[in-house]
Amino acid sequence: MSDRVDLEEPQVGDFQLPRAPGGGPVIQEPLWRIRLRLFRKALRRNWALFAKNKIGLVGLGIIIAFALAALAHPILMDRVWDPAIYDPVRGYDAPRTEFLVVENGTVEDPTSEIDHATARLKTTPFVKVGETISIPSQPAPPSDSHWLGTDPLGRDILSQLMYSTRAAFLLGAIAAFVTVLIATTVGSIAAYFGGWIDSLLMRFADLVLLVPLIPILIVISSLFTLTLPLLGVLIGILSGFGGTAIVLKSQALSVSVKPFIDAARVAGGSNAHIIFRHIIPNVLPLSFLYMMFTVTEAIALEATLSFLGLMNVQMSWGLMINVAHSSGYLLSGTSYWWLLIPAGMAVTLLAAAFFLAGRAMDEVVNPRLRRR
Amino acid sequence: MQTADTPLSTRPSGSGMPALLEVDNLTMEYHTEKGSVSAVNDVSFTIRAGESMGLVGESGCGKTSVAMALLRLQADNAEFKAGEIRLNGENLLALSEDEMRTHRWSDISMVFQGAMNAWNPVQRVGDQIREAMNLHIKPLPTAAEARARMEELFVLVGVDPKMLDRYPHEFSGGMRQRAIIAMALSCDPQLIIADEPTTALDVIVQDQILNQLKRIQRDLGMAMIYISHDIAVIAEVTDTIGVMYAGRIVELGATREVFQRPKHPYAYLLLNSAPSITGPRRKLAPLKGEPPNLLNPPTGCRFHPRCPFATEKCTVETPPLEDVGGGHLVECWHWDQVPETTERGVA
Amino acid sequence: MTKFISKRLVQMVILFAIFLTILFFLLEAQPGDLSQQYIGNPDIPPEEKARLAARLGLDQPLWGRYAAYMRNFFTGNMGVALSQYPTSVSSLILAALPRTIVLFLSATVLAYYLGFVTGKVLAWRRGKATEYLLTLGGVGLYTIFYPWFALLMIWFFGFTLSGWLGFTVFPINKFIDAPEWTGSPFTTNAVFMRMILVATLALFVASVITLLARRRLELPQAIRVRNWSFLAAVIFPFVYFWISPMRKYAGDILHHTILPVGTLTLVAFAGIMLLTRSSMLETLREDYILTARAKGLSEKAIRDRHAARNALLPVVTSLVLALAFVIGGGIITETVFSWPGIGLLLFQAVLLEDIPLAMGTLSIIAVLALLGHLIADIIYVYLDPRIRYQ
Repeated sequence: MSDRVDLEEPQVGDFQLPRAPGGGPVIQEPLWRIRLRLFRKALRRNWALFAKNKIGLVGLGIIIAFALAALAHPILMDRVWDPAIYDPVRGYDAPRTEFLVVENGTVEDPTSEIDHATARLKTTPFVKVGETISIPSQPAPPSDSHWLGTDPLGRDILSQLMYSTRAAFLLGAIAAFVTVLIATTVGSIAAYFGGWIDSLLMRFADLVLLVPLIPILIVISSLFTLTLPLLGVLIGILSGFGGTAIVLKSQALSVSVKPFIDAARVAGGSNAHIIFRHIIPNVLPLSFLYMMFTVTEAIALEATLSFLGLMNVQMSWGLMINVAHSSGYLLSGTSYWWLLIPAGMAVTLLAAAFFLAGRAMDEVVNPRLRRR
Repeated sequence: MQTADTPLSTRPSGSGMPALLEVDNLTMEYHTEKGSVSAVNDVSFTIRAGESMGLVGESGCGKTSVAMALLRLQADNAEFKAGEIRLNGENLLALSEDEMRTHRWSDISMVFQGAMNAWNPVQRVGDQIREAMNLHIKPLPTAAEARARMEELFVLVGVDPKMLDRYPHEFSGGMRQRAIIAMALSCDPQLIIADEPTTALDVIVQDQILNQLKRIQRDLGMAMIYISHDIAVIAEVTDTIGVMYAGRIVELGATREVFQRPKHPYAYLLLNSAPSITGPRRKLAPLKGEPPNLLNPPTGCRFHPRCPFATEKCTVETPPLEDVGGGHLVECWHWDQVPETTERGVA
Repeated sequence: MTKFISKRLVQMVILFAIFLTILFFLLEAQPGDLSQQYIGNPDIPPEEKARLAARLGLDQPLWGRYAAYMRNFFTGNMGVALSQYPTSVSSLILAALPRTIVLFLSATVLAYYLGFVTGKVLAWRRGKATEYLLTLGGVGLYTIFYPWFALLMIWFFGFTLSGWLGFTVFPINKFIDAPEWTGSPFTTNAVFMRMILVATLALFVASVITLLARRRLELPQAIRVRNWSFLAAVIFPFVYFWISPMRKYAGDILHHTILPVGTLTLVAFAGIMLLTRSSMLETLREDYILTARAKGLSEKAIRDRHAARNALLPVVTSLVLALAFVIGGGIITETVFSWPGIGLLLFQAVLLEDIPLAMGTLSIIAVLALLGHLIADIIYVYLDPRIRYQ
């Protein structure tokens, strides 16, 4: 690389080897640039395959939309929203809401057709049936200042939703990273060495796979303070030593019998060199795929634990549902839809989006699944 | 390479018998994402009762597509563009799916190429044969009758009748293939299609099974279509041979004629690409190039890009299927330039 | 077969021991220790503290505590539930266990049956509108945030629908409607156990009849016998409780069971359906399907007798994954529906920081998972002759 010439005009897409004055062939481009070009080419080809799957594209679109929302939140808090009102945890607002005064007794009657969110008992001699009165209240329905209303504690739902998105991405990223780190290493080592190392690791994976995650995490939450990063690492460990390791091992096994592994061994490559330079790079595409599925799992698990009130988080989608549920708004149904629907939809949509994008990636990575 | 004492079919090709199966101008296309693949193009041939015919060609030339079309088991993306398949005068392509089902196995049965996977792994072999018999044999055989018939068939193909109660994975490859033959015979079909019946087997078993098939076919007097990429293998057991190239039958005639005096350049080269044990030593002339992509097949004669005799005319006009004497049909403008067999290896 | 099962059982005991060991060290790793919560009280004099610690075995070295812990678990002694002193953990678990098993088992069986049948049909209708709709719905159900879905189900079926129709379609939670039971001559568990017993017996008899029919009769008749006997087995418990004095109480329990079981089933069903569909599509490419078509079998016969039977194998293998799913979902179901089973017990134990009860329930859940795994293995061996005869 040191004796390369002519950096100004690299001949992209041209593999002819010009002769240097000395007579030896000179590669005009630095190695990294060739790698980058090959990488771009592979990316384009894979993108074409991925883009064929319309559902996968929808999934990717949803992920991007959520990512933008997560990025927009700090900017909004900084520039547009007053933290005293819009802070997802400490904000407070009680917008005035119009209430209709109705006859005593009609609110308790489940067959009456009044809207619970805007109805108010006739209790005082100062108001008459049929009048509307305006009083500050929470949870407040959607309005111009609160697009998705406020929660039972007077906090802005939209702000909570966007704030929680960031947490979901953070958790997903940690869980996926730890999973792939562990699963790729475990799978590659098991496949490369075989024998007792393989059976030990795979039996352990069986055990981890067998034991359901939710009860374990519930118990762990009683022993330790379960924060978001800790949960991400735990999910990563449990999923990395479990199912994902088994899948990646079989992939690594099919790589480790290829001729270039033997070639590397004959050339004197150490075990670590072969595993990290030859096997793992070839297992990585499938690893990325399982990253997607891990994110789906992590989002759902965090929301579940928050919903059960076992997580130590300030705000998350699960916690939003927990607040609505524990304040008794579950059976209010459609009257207080903004308490339950946005948070539930957010968890479902983002988890589904990662799942769908993962399935579309599956078709890129596993040629077997492609439609002929 | 072929000397007089080689066991070639000597029987005149089904003379005097009525036509059992007539295929007329059969044309079939596969619709793929990239466009239409012309897999079977204007294929015609006739088989009389008791006759055996071979179809040879490289893989991808349309042999299996023809075989599947005869049973109307073509893939979902296939479409018949033209032609007729007549069994005893009845056009199979005009039948409804239900009517077609009654002909399958009872009139035309099949010995598949993948003996390993042609059996359902979770059912006993006897039950799978029984299933076909229950469907097609009228009146419905009793359990004892069916059992007796299946045992008889297993003895005929040389498998221990006890194996009827076993699962496919307990059979060896050769036994599975024999059992498939027994199943193909179970409903007394008029025609058996053997699609590469011995490809996956070792040479000795191949030979045994081929001879057995031939014996059974002669003894039971049924017609048979052998499909293979190996012309030498089926020359031993067939009366007539059709050579397929790129979805078309390019040469058709009595086995001895085609084998000893191939007139189509493709058939000539195909024969010369295979070594011979019995014939004189000679230089092999490998077939150069690849079979054409049938998404857009070559214009004119489909063989012209690989043909040593090709001229300007071949690239433009499709040659007619011409009788070069004694019912030996060849689709080539320059068949008269193809060297005689005696000169083989010199060319 | 017995050799296989006993070998598997030994493996499971070893796996369970490893699991308990991990739990033990998890317990040891928590900040502070168990004693702090109960004998950390500064008012307790030191000598009394030492006496308590000795009684709890906290003065033993690590391996001694480990040995005692393992010995106790394998002899069924899981200690006292601190939140419900002096009730033992085992008696609480024993009372809750049947309800959980019924919830898990009926949801799993129903989800498998429905998922398999739907997935089978779905694969057969490749490219039709029903396929797209059901696949999309399946993915939706598979990825839906489960607690939220359960809440929506309660809100819709338990509340809104009842409001519209003017009667309680399904109760919104709990296992029984307590006022109905005042003056009842039966206890809840007695009625519930009788229900389980009758249903199990009926299904057992149906299975025996089916097995006999398989041996003695031709295939079409055997299938007819199977269908009728299982139909009878489903109807029989209803008839039995209709004429028994437990009618009202059994009906009340059943009424409370349908919604939680249905909710859990629906979500587990989606995964099975999607899996069956892809497994069917794989199977349809196999050569023996072509053989079956060449034999002149009808599409339905090919689908049911050849494709479905083989497509079932990977679906059964996935029972392990489905189990984790059902168990996780079951715990949420129990919590959301206040269904007094193991899952709710675990959740309450964690909320009240009752560590012995939490550990006990978690271990029992692990045992359930292991047993489910064993059953899946046995079914697989039964279904696949290639393994059966090895």
